Amino acid sequence: MNAVIRTEGLVKRFGHVTALDRLDLEVSQGETHGFLGPNGAGKSTTIRVLLGMLRSDEGRAELFGADPWKDAATLHKRLAYVPGDVALWPGLTGGETIDLLGRLRGGIDKAKRDELLERFDLDPRKKGRSYSKGNRQKVALVAAFAADVDLLLLDEPTSGLDPLMGAVFNECVKEASAAGRTVLLSSHIMSEVEALCERVSIIRKGVIVETGTLAEMRHFSRSRLRATLKSPVRGLGDNEGVHDLKTDGLDIECSVDTAALDDVLAQLAVAGVAGLTCEPPSLEAIFLRFYGDELAASGVPNGEQS
Amino acid sequence: MTTAMAELEDGLGTLAGTGNLLRFQLRRSRLYLFGWLAGLAGGTWVTALSFPDLYPDAAGREAYAVTVNTPAMRSMTGPVEYIEAYGASTGAMFAHQMILWTGALTAVMFILLMVRLTRADEETSRSEVFRSNPIGRRADLAAALLLAGIAAVALGALMALSVAALPGGQGGSAILFGLAHTAIAAVFAGVAAVTAQLASFASSANGLAFAVLGWSAFTAGIGSAQENWAVWLSPIGWSQLTFVYTPEQRWWPVVLSGAVAVVAVWLAFALVTHRDFGQGMMAARQGRPEAKAGLDSATALTFRLVKGMFWAGVITMLLLGAAYGSVLGGADDMLEGLSETERAVLNRGGASIEENITATFAALNGLFASLFGLLVVGRARKEEIQGRGELIAAAAVSRSGWPGSYLPAALWTSTAAAAAAGLFLGLAGSSSLNDWSYFGTGLWASLLQLPAVWALTAFGFAAFAWLPRLGWLRWLAWVWLFVVLYFADLLNLPEWAQAVSPFHHLAAYPAADVDWRAALLVTLAAAALAAAGYAGAKRRDLNFS
Repeated sequence: MNAVIRTEGLVKRFGHVTALDRLDLEVSQGETHGFLGPNGAGKSTTIRVLLGMLRSDEGRAELFGADPWKDAATLHKRLAYVPGDVALWPGLTGGETIDLLGRLRGGIDKAKRDELLERFDLDPRKKGRSYSKGNRQKVALVAAFAADVDLLLLDEPTSGLDPLMGAVFNECVKEASAAGRTVLLSSHIMSEVEALCERVSIIRKGVIVETGTLAEMRHFSRSRLRATLKSPVRGLGDNEGVHDLKTDGLDIECSVDTAALDDVLAQLAVAGVAGLTCEPPSLEAIFLRFYGDELAASGVPNGEQS
Repeated sequence: MTTAMAELEDGLGTLAGTGNLLRFQLRRSRLYLFGWLAGLAGGTWVTALSFPDLYPDAAGREAYAVTVNTPAMRSMTGPVEYIEAYGASTGAMFAHQMILWTGALTAVMFILLMVRLTRADEETSRSEVFRSNPIGRRADLAAALLLAGIAAVALGALMALSVAALPGGQGGSAILFGLAHTAIAAVFAGVAAVTAQLASFASSANGLAFAVLGWSAFTAGIGSAQENWAVWLSPIGWSQLTFVYTPEQRWWPVVLSGAVAVVAVWLAFALVTHRDFGQGMMAARQGRPEAKAGLDSATALTFRLVKGMFWAGVITMLLLGAAYGSVLGGADDMLEGLSETERAVLNRGGASIEENITATFAALNGLFASLFGLLVVGRARKEEIQGRGELIAAAAVSRSGWPGSYLPAALWTSTAAAAAAGLFLGLAGSSSLNDWSYFGTGLWASLLQLPAVWALTAFGFAAFAWLPRLGWLRWLAWVWLFVVLYFADLLNLPEWAQAVSPFHHLAAYPAADVDWRAALLVTLAAAALAAAGYAGAKRRDLNFS
């Protein structure tokens, strides 16, 4: 597979603060890649290095196999970018801004642009200063989705959008993906990433702590299991793959490592099962597991499940 | 009876919470008020102190009166009635030269204050926080107007104090001088209160109010120049028409200002309940849904964004050039009235006073024109800090396009401003000297300063490119060049300190012959600074918010 984005040991410091600390990220061609992390973890810094706005202090960053710092202008022809907080020119209308951004990429498909304006319900005649936060995002989104590019860099693009427009956004990302575009979607909205992304990278304090498909991540995580049994089960607590076991008469509740599911189900079958639910871990649960320390510091007791 | 009571209660209800708001606004605006009041009163005080020394005797003042008594000079000062009193009263001379300008500044202060306290807060939804509290619909306008009223009275008192020591007053002249400023403040606070209700944005509210100010300055100028009724159309003119410090001094024009202010305030209160929160009476103008064909590059965008600055530069410099040119005719007489300092500055080794003074004016034209180039460079930094440049930098635009296009935009602005100043120095100079051969001299002298203008502008860009956080660096450079131009001989500055200034190397044409070598070298220095700027822009991180 061709990597559209590849960073190896990427380091970026701002004075004494290390924003990126040997970050390794890889996004293959045609993939929609989720980039997860809380505010300040380094998502925007990574994207700005990839855009050639910031120069890395150590390590390598590649975009389409080229150096984004040296070849920024050429590479930008092949990508569109939506920042998390779009700032517009107060005297330019939304339509003018969209046209300008399109022309800077070498032309804009007018039919596509008008269709997107319709779908995002955006009035292109208003001046930049009178748009709300959500509408400013829409201006950048319309410009990005109307562009005929290979890569979309979306940095928390849906902040300020209402759920209706969130749904339109999801559709647009799916269409872009179907058209063969690569998408890097930085977000902290789990449902969005779960719905759109095949692969996910989780960033924490400037380091990628986990990367893989959602299925892989689930595999290494724990399922939530609830059961009502016909007779008491013995020895379940001794199984190393069973965590946080709670027993209330014949009702049991626990987290189970994916690898231990086989054994646990066999044990339960022996006792006789009256009712059973087993939930795969949500992306949120996977994500929160990497942030156990931060959660503990903020007074949230258990990162695994509430 | 009961309905009348209910109406009254309703009327008072819309003002609920005014007191609390007033205290809050006063606290928020204290720095703004302090800065403006100190600047206006302090500047007036310093000028008033120096006046008696500059023009100690009646004969000198009368000689100067002859110089000032031309239509062009009257349009930039005030009515002829003051000029007739120059000999009799230093105060009259002072009031004549000051009121138009201090009055205009007072208007600016109160327009910005009112719009800041009303519309601007609605835009940032700051005042939504208040509105959700038990506060009446008219309360924030009432609080803003009360605050403006307090500031207007304070300004009047301070202005009166700052001219208290000025000789030549009639009964209560100092108080009337202060009152004349309070009157202008009241009128423009009222005007801005009305435009804040009409316009749909703070910027357009400011724009409308400034249009009224422009009208006032224009009609006052026309009226004074042609000695006719046009002065009566101007709120600033009304204050000039008090003829303060002259034997004809009168108080009643101030009442006219007061009446207009009351009407404006009444209108603003009537309008405020007839519009929705965050909306103006006039609907926001719809813009174009698609961009014009020309808006297709980072450079095109940059030039569009600095268009306002460009015209501000050209018009300001055109006026400055015209002002310089119009005094040339009376240069000989003026020299009599000048202090030792000013005469030293003016001596550029030329054959005649006109040549010396033209060389100085040309350098000043260049220096002030550079200001607008530096302001354009400042816009680049603003685009970066406020994050708007990010969308452009992420597009297929090289660093020489963004932020690089701000250098040609800055050079274009400062060049056009300098050329406008030169053109009008030539025009007004020829007219006041009654000699059209001067046109070429005045224009050419100003154009010969362009290499230095370019060098200073390019320095500003290089500073922005390499040391973006040190925005004051380009202003420091400007101030230093100003000091070198004005005070080098006076302060006995060493040669190396003067050599820093590009203006220092260009020949003082027409007082000296054109030095092509120097002009070429300064142009090369400008090119080197520009290249350094581009190198810096390629090298550094772009720090968007």
